[in-house]
Amino acid sequence: MSETLFQWIAYSPLADWVVSESYIWPTLESIHFVSLCVLMGSLLVVDLRLIGVFREPCARTVAFMIRLSLLAFAVNLATGVLFFFGYTAKYVNNPAFEIKLTLIALAGLNALYYRWRLADLVSTREVTRSSIAVGCISLALWSGVIVCGRMITFYAP
Amino acid sequence: MDFLELLADSEFSYWLSVSMAGFPTLIALHSVGMGAAVGLSMAVTLRLHGALPDLGRFPVQRLLDVAMWGFTLNLVTGLLLFITRGPEYLASGIFLLKMLLVFIGTALLLVVRQRVRALASGSGALLDDGMARALSLVATVAWFGAVVTGRLIAYLSDLYR
Repeated sequence: MSETLFQWIAYSPLADWVVSESYIWPTLESIHFVSLCVLMGSLLVVDLRLIGVFREPCARTVAFMIRLSLLAFAVNLATGVLFFFGYTAKYVNNPAFEIKLTLIALAGLNALYYRWRLADLVSTREVTRSSIAVGCISLALWSGVIVCGRMITFYAP
Repeated sequence: MDFLELLADSEFSYWLSVSMAGFPTLIALHSVGMGAAVGLSMAVTLRLHGALPDLGRFPVQRLLDVAMWGFTLNLVTGLLLFITRGPEYLASGIFLLKMLLVFIGTALLLVVRQRVRALASGSGALLDDGMARALSLVATVAWFGAVVTGRLIAYLSDLYR
C-alpha cells in the first residue's frame, strides 16, 4: 500500500516540477531555512517566558508569536512536502526523517498541553514547574527537529 | 593560506570530515544556533518596530543575550567546519558574501544590545531610539541574507560536491 503511494508521489507531476529546474530545490531550501529561523525565534520568545528567563506579563507578545510560529510552520510543512515529492527515495525508510516527524508530533502535543493548562500564565509574572517543563521540552524537541532535519542527508538510504 | 592548508590536511580535519560526530553533528548544531540567533534578532526587530508592545526592556535584553549565545554556538561550529576546507571556503564568493552578512548582522546586533541596555527602563523607551530600530532592521535583513547565502554555498561553489 505505502509502496504504491510512494511510487505515485515519486512519479507525480508535482515531483517532476520540483526537479524540473535547477533553481527550484535551492529556492525551496532557502525558504525552508528562513522559515525555520522565524519558527525558532518566535517559539524561543514564548519558551523563554515559560521557563522564567524573563517574567514580565506579555500575553499579547505570546499570542503574536504563536500565530507567527504557526505561519512559519505552515511554510515549512509546504516546502517539506515538496522536498518529499521531489526526492521521495531520500526520505522513505530514513531514520533521521522518521525521528524528525516523531519529534514534530511530540512538540505538537506539548503545545496543546500549553494551550490546555498554561495559556493564562503568560498574563501574570508566574512561573511554575509545569511551565518550565513545557518550555524546556519545547526547546529540546524543536532543536531535535532541526538536528534530525540536517541529518536526513547523512542517513539517506 | 599555507596554515589553512596544513589545518585542512591535519588528522583532526580528516576526523571532522569522516566522523558522524564531526561534520554532520557540527552542521546540525550550526543550524540550531542559526535558528536562535536569526530568529531572536527578528523578534527584537519586531519589538523595536512596535509589534510586541507588552515586551519590556528587560525581556528584550534577555532575548539579545540568548541571540548572542546562539551566535557563539554558530561561531564555534562554523570555525570547526572551516578547518576542514579552509582554502576552498576562502575561494568561494558566496561563502565570502555570507561572512560579510554575518559580520554586519553580528556587529549591528551588538550595537543594538548596547543601546537597549543604555535605555531607561519602561517599554515605551524602546520605541524612541530610532537608531536602534534602524540598525536592528538592517541586522535582521543581513542575518536572513546570511541564512540564504549559507544554504546556497552547496549550489554556487564546488564545496560539498
